[in-house]
Amino acid sequence: MIFIILLIIMAVLLLAAAVYSIVHRDLLFAVMGTGIVSVVLSLFFYLLQAPDVALTEAAIGIALTTIIFIITIRNTTRDEDEIIDKENEKL
Amino acid sequence: MTIILTIVFTLMAIGLILSMFRFVKGPRSGDRAMALDTFSIIITAAMVLLAHVFERYIYVDVALIYAVLGFVGVIVIARYIEGAL
Amino acid sequence: MKNVFIIILLVVIGYFLANTFADIPFGENRIGDIESSETVAGYYLSNTVEKSKVANVITAIVVNYRGLDTLGEVTVLFLASTGLASILYRRKEEEEDVERLNLPSSRIMRTGVRVLFPSIVLLGIYVFIHGHLTPGGGFQGGTIVATGFLLMLISYKGFNTNHNRMVWIESLAGLSFVGIGIWGLLSGNTFLENSTNVGVLNSLISGGLIPIIYIVVGFKVAVELTGILDILLKIKPKK
Repeated sequence: MIFIILLIIMAVLLLAAAVYSIVHRDLLFAVMGTGIVSVVLSLFFYLLQAPDVALTEAAIGIALTTIIFIITIRNTTRDEDEIIDKENEKL
Repeated sequence: MTIILTIVFTLMAIGLILSMFRFVKGPRSGDRAMALDTFSIIITAAMVLLAHVFERYIYVDVALIYAVLGFVGVIVIARYIEGAL
Repeated sequence: MKNVFIIILLVVIGYFLANTFADIPFGENRIGDIESSETVAGYYLSNTVEKSKVANVITAIVVNYRGLDTLGEVTVLFLASTGLASILYRRKEEEEDVERLNLPSSRIMRTGVRVLFPSIVLLGIYVFIHGHLTPGGGFQGGTIVATGFLLMLISYKGFNTNHNRMVWIESLAGLSFVGIGIWGLLSGNTFLENSTNVGVLNSLISGGLIPIIYIVVGFKVAVELTGILDILLKIKPKK
């Protein structure tokens, strides 16, 4: 009984982090939301008795995905709608 | 034994919900980075406890990897916020 | 107006997907009888421990029963790394003094990274050497070693990796994977056949050629990912 309640709470947290990562405008916070989704997903794989898949998701999701997206953000903009805002100011 | 496990898992769930609340609300980027780190550490502790509940002690390897690599992720984010990357 | 149309399309697709997923009986045994040896899953589960003497069934499936697919994955990784390096790599004489980091790191971080770097590399080597006994394997261990090198790359300005040596290690690793397969062909069996003496269950030297293949794959993945990260960190936008 207590396991079912904990699983529901983890699923709600996963959904909240994923929605936050899509909707928000600042791209660095979206990358952190992706990190939280990866952590919760690894716990789900662990609960379904698959430690090999959980270890693969842990090794990739926290360090490597974050660094590649941060290099992309550094070379382009950090704010998502920067160009649209500049054109709206000109009008 | 079951009562102790229920209390421990309830406290962990409260910790996760509070840390998620700080991640959504926090006005600056430092708050969100700390929330990510706290989340990762609580999940590591939950994995070690679940290895004892399932009685397969070979699952502790997953928690070992997580404890080391969570640190590297937060260091990368902090280096970018500082402006040095 | 466009948002309303998008939401209606998503609701229709979601309804039909939910209908399809509701027909699957959740929690029952859907891939046939696991206990018997007639189905594929049953054959893998019941014959791996006696014939190959390997404790991790996933490793035995990835390297032994489906070894040709693993060779395809290694080829895809090699193509990605070579393509990226051929476009973006500049030699030392040609670059116009591009610095990897803007600011030096603090004293706490320099001391901590110097203590932690050998431990992370040792952890990665542990994961891919014991691939047939504990969860893990070649690909996971290679990723962990590359994360250790990433930690050094963002802390010290003067840390440089030797690209010549990395190219040699990667080429030798790829060549030995194919060489093991061809040796299987030359000794009268099929390609990538596990034909040497299998040892005792649950010891380090067991399973014939399976740990050797995973060690080779671990080296290859670690060197490739370190090269990709080193090249990508030097690309800076022009002011």
